[in-house]
Amino acid sequence: MTILEVQDLKTYYSTLKGDVKAVDGVRLQMEKGESLGLVGESGCGKTTLALAIMRLLPWNGRIVGGKILLNDVDIVGLDEAIFDKDYRWKRMAYVFQGAMNALNPVFKVGDQIAEAITIHEDVAKREALDRARELFSLVGIDPGRITSYPHELSGGMKQRAMIAMALACNPDFIIADEPTTALDVIVQAQTLEVINELQKKLGITMMLITHDLSVVAQTCTTCAIMYAGNLVEYADIDTTFSDPVHPYTQALISAFPSIKEDRRELISISGVPPNLLNPPTGCRFNPRCPHRMDICTKEKPEYLEIGDRHFAACHLLTNGG
Amino acid sequence: MKGEAELKVVNLRKWFPVRRGIVSTLLSRKTEYVKAVDGVSFEVRKGEVFGLAGESGCGKTTTGKTVLRLLEPTGGEIYFEGRDITALNKAEMKQMRRKMQIIYQDPYQSLNPRMTVFDIISEPINVHRLSDSPAETEEIVHKSLEDVELIPAEDFVFRFPHELSGGQRQRVAVARTIILQPSFIVADEPISMLDVSIRAGILKVMLQTKEAQDITYIFITHDLAYARHICHRGAIMYLGKIVELASMDNLVNNPLHPYTIALMMAVPVPDPTLGKARAVISGEVPTPINPPSGCRFHPRCSKATDICSRQEPELVEVSGGHFVACHHAH
Repeated sequence: MTILEVQDLKTYYSTLKGDVKAVDGVRLQMEKGESLGLVGESGCGKTTLALAIMRLLPWNGRIVGGKILLNDVDIVGLDEAIFDKDYRWKRMAYVFQGAMNALNPVFKVGDQIAEAITIHEDVAKREALDRARELFSLVGIDPGRITSYPHELSGGMKQRAMIAMALACNPDFIIADEPTTALDVIVQAQTLEVINELQKKLGITMMLITHDLSVVAQTCTTCAIMYAGNLVEYADIDTTFSDPVHPYTQALISAFPSIKEDRRELISISGVPPNLLNPPTGCRFNPRCPHRMDICTKEKPEYLEIGDRHFAACHLLTNGG
Repeated sequence: MKGEAELKVVNLRKWFPVRRGIVSTLLSRKTEYVKAVDGVSFEVRKGEVFGLAGESGCGKTTTGKTVLRLLEPTGGEIYFEGRDITALNKAEMKQMRRKMQIIYQDPYQSLNPRMTVFDIISEPINVHRLSDSPAETEEIVHKSLEDVELIPAEDFVFRFPHELSGGQRQRVAVARTIILQPSFIVADEPISMLDVSIRAGILKVMLQTKEAQDITYIFITHDLAYARHICHRGAIMYLGKIVELASMDNLVNNPLHPYTIALMMAVPVPDPTLGKARAVISGEVPTPINPPSGCRFHPRCSKATDICSRQEPELVEVSGGHFVACHHAH
């Protein structure tokens, strides 16, 4: 069953210098229970895509085209009041980047979670606090800690509290934006274990945004690689690592060091990610691509299904090479 | 010559006093200290890349800054090329600094936004009076820009930091450091702020100049996967102490300290067919103000026994060049 379908989504930011095309024609489909890793470098538009889905774009950002279907309802055109009451946090929740700063420092964490529940559901505060306690034990925090203030929790506990808050209204779909980036390696492993367990127990559909391929390899069932506002490849997690077809995916994987391999020289990708005010014509990766052909500078490659649920956008796939 | 100690640190300590409120000052309660580095000894051999790794707050950056005397040590000795630099006065230290340099983590903060690339890179030459004429300065600056692959150099000299990408900024920071032809550099998380696709490029220029100029590096990092590929030997720190010191191969494949073992198991691997990273220890690093007694790791350690809470384990050599500080690791 398809939970989320993004059709040709375009999200631009207006600036004094013109439109920044942060998301420029993204197509994506997520099945129930899927755990998708959305991977890309900073500025590639992955957070913008997530904010567009949650309709939390900053004032200068806007969706200029495309559809976002959640259970077959297009949420782009929905009335804000309805979206706020019935969708945001109720059907889809967001674990914000940097849990350290995402909690309100002057309220107890339990009250913050209870607030999210009482706004969306017709329950008494006491009941909501009971739910908060359950959620805390679900993510592995002592339920008694709901009376703590954020500063009394460690970084890892705050991140878990954020995950608990996202689960508060039993959403169909969760977006976690760099949930482990600010954490140390052991706490990161603890947090990823919590996420893996929740997926097993609750079967949540989740989009995990990260720049860290190793986190995706360990947590997700599918992987989408984003570059300069476009998805360049989508596949299940094993195919992504064993048989990537897009040169950017290949380069990103070989640039990523593994502690399990022998010492080797690390490989970088030449050049820098493009400025999205003036992205390169044709394929946006072409200035950095080792396999560049004439057509790559002229025509934007189509995002095609090249195998069972394996999509990629590269001229090599259609024009030989 | 390889194998010789370029830097030797003996029982280095750096304590920071904790700021207190006026009441406790008046009541003259005992000053508390954050023992960021508390008795650390190691040697860095000439020409090697020595890794200092650990979680945030373990004291790795403080160690790096203290061995350069950018922070004054609270105690201990630092021998650089055989001389104890803790005894040097300001003028002597300035001379020494030419040989001992640092690359900072964040190229967005370490470059003065009001200075051009030329001014940034030429400043060390002016400070140490290494050039006889403006023409020579220009030549040296161009050469060092080419060394870090900012080519053509003339395109970059008159730019300001805000006109450069993160990777280019870090290259400027590297150029500024190597222009003095130092023999020893502390690189404090030089790539952690950068995107994956450009990290290897920065490391490449650092290591190329290392070969060309025979530079010894301390590479401070929290990312063990990078340490694995860059460092020859390394030390794992926990709460201001070194818990294990060995060749990188041994640290990765044959870790002996329970903390090192836990760290290695927690590192995620970019390969879905290999086993998942696991958190074999719970909890988080406690505060370094009142660290646990005995072995600082004992409250989180599954092997801990009585002795661990009473007696602090020494860092002892268990096999050739493999040191570990644990009562139960040998």
